[in-house]
Amino acid sequence: MNNIIEVKNLTKTYGDFTAVDNISFAVRQGETFGILGPNGAGKTTTLEMIEGLKSMTSGEVMLDGNDVRTEAREVKAKIGVQLQSSSFFDGLNLLELVETFASLYGRKVDAMSLLEQVQLTDKARSKAKELSGGQKQRLSIAVALVNDPKVIFLDEPTTGLDPQARHNLWDLVKQIKALGKTVVLTTHYMEEAEILCDRIAIMDHARIVAMDTTVNLLRQSGVASAIAFRPSREIDPAQLQTLPGVDKSAASGGEYRLSCTNVTAAMPALFQRLRELNVEVKDLKVTEPTLEDVFLALTGHELRD
Amino acid sequence: MNTILHLTYSSIKMFVRNKQALFFTLISPLIIMGIFGLLAFDRVPQVDLGVAVTAPPNAGTEAFLEQLKSVPAFNVQVGTETVEREAIKEGERAAVLVIPGNFFPENGKPTGEGMIILINSSQPQQSSTAVSIVNQILDKTTLAATGAPPLFNVRTEDVSSRNFKYIDFLVPGIVALSIMQMSVFSVAFIFADYKEKGVLKRLLATPMKPYEFVTANVITRLIVSVIQAAFLIGVGVLVFKAQVIGSYFLLIPIVVLGAIMFLGMGFTISGFANTVETVPAIANLIVFPMLFLGGTFFPIDTMPTWLQHVANYLPLTYLSTAMREVMLNGATFSEIQSNIWWMLAWAVALVAAANFSFSMEEKRQ
Repeated sequence: MNNIIEVKNLTKTYGDFTAVDNISFAVRQGETFGILGPNGAGKTTTLEMIEGLKSMTSGEVMLDGNDVRTEAREVKAKIGVQLQSSSFFDGLNLLELVETFASLYGRKVDAMSLLEQVQLTDKARSKAKELSGGQKQRLSIAVALVNDPKVIFLDEPTTGLDPQARHNLWDLVKQIKALGKTVVLTTHYMEEAEILCDRIAIMDHARIVAMDTTVNLLRQSGVASAIAFRPSREIDPAQLQTLPGVDKSAASGGEYRLSCTNVTAAMPALFQRLRELNVEVKDLKVTEPTLEDVFLALTGHELRD
Repeated sequence: MNTILHLTYSSIKMFVRNKQALFFTLISPLIIMGIFGLLAFDRVPQVDLGVAVTAPPNAGTEAFLEQLKSVPAFNVQVGTETVEREAIKEGERAAVLVIPGNFFPENGKPTGEGMIILINSSQPQQSSTAVSIVNQILDKTTLAATGAPPLFNVRTEDVSSRNFKYIDFLVPGIVALSIMQMSVFSVAFIFADYKEKGVLKRLLATPMKPYEFVTANVITRLIVSVIQAAFLIGVGVLVFKAQVIGSYFLLIPIVVLGAIMFLGMGFTISGFANTVETVPAIANLIVFPMLFLGGTFFPIDTMPTWLQHVANYLPLTYLSTAMREVMLNGATFSEIQSNIWWMLAWAVALVAAANFSFSMEEKRQ
């Protein structure tokens, strides 16, 4: 697959502060690439340098064969951008806004059908400031699509949205992906990255700490699946440690937790042992590792602090 | 080019839909014009003259009273001596004449008693006017009585001159002032808002060149400034009967150049202001002194000399002077060209300042 974006040794410093520290990665044509990290990790700065909105301190970014440093206008013509906190003119309605933005690319668009794509036809004659948070983000995406871009950048598209609006937006991103467009998004929601992204770069303190397909990241992180349950009476956790497929066992506050190297093997063995001990179990659950665990394992701190 | 056209079209739509901008562009200058127009600083006030006759007047005195009442500069109040003395103490009379009934001699015999003129020293101008007019009347009466031929012959001749009224002075000033307000505030507020809310950043994420957006906004406001000037001059002429002698067409380039100068100022302010809230603080600091020093309401030559040195170089002064010279004196281009060159110099300086303030902004990114 072709790389549509190639980032090499990208760095951004403000005085003594390094916002982005020598990062390199590539985004393949047609994939959805996520940059995951906590606030202040450098995600937005990275995105804005690729979009040609911020100057680079050093490094190189190529987008579809254009060098962002020297051919920013060509790059801007090929991309669609949703900024983290962009707002639009107050004096224009949505149709006029979409048409005005199309004119910036020297294009004419069917504004109504674009609004239909993001389910905003009933708001076509409203002002942007009259929209809800989710509607504003959808408008932002409609505007980002006016030039039929090859790459679309979404900077924390669902931050601050309620769960329903968030699911709505995920569907929209999947639609855009189905059109064959390359999507680059930043998020600090693990769930969002898992659901939407083919590949993820995890950023922390201005660096990329891990980058792989979502599946591989979960597998390679060394974070295990776990079985958790509450027994009917107290037992010695050490008695469970020797079970096949179990790595570690621990108990706290009545809840027992077995870290497993192989859940399929551990499960029947656990039931067998509990029956021998004449113990019944409540609240049994199997937890798969999440990116949250991956992040914790990689950085030693929680994603949201 | 199409981009600029479309942006201009959008920008005009936004300006027209902004009720606040429309109010400050058209209605508030009209209110100022109305208030100052009605104050009519140029109407000479009448002199309040009190007259108290202490005894029933004889025929000569009666005739003298009638003569006083016919003087247009006097607002004559007749009362008793006590009442009139009280009134002048209250400051309601500039002067009071206390006249005995037989003030005028009867049958040519100079037996007349003396008249007392009470003068209100807190209104020296009005009271001395009153005294001199009263003396004039008496001198004439004396001459007539003695039958001596007048030594001097004075004729007044009615010349229908261009009679400047305050409103004639005011209208060009208000137009200049309104162009300044519209240009500075509409740009400073809106661009600071665009900057703060990220609208500018979103625009910069498109292939649009920044100058295209600026040009569209400038064109919009130049159109607005010409309409604004036409509207205010129209109301001034039709409603307030202001006179315009010079060329209306010469006013257009003056208005446009003035607007460019103040748009530069507006852009500079929005470049330095980090939030919308700081805009009125900076803008008023610059605009407010010019309101009074820029020759809008008062002629600059009435100011103390040191202040004139400042006032004469203000951008608003060049604009209001140029407008006034054309509207009031029918000046031609060559007669106001020094004003035009100064406005051009200000425009260049302010546009450069605007560029500088936005390049500072860019460096922070």
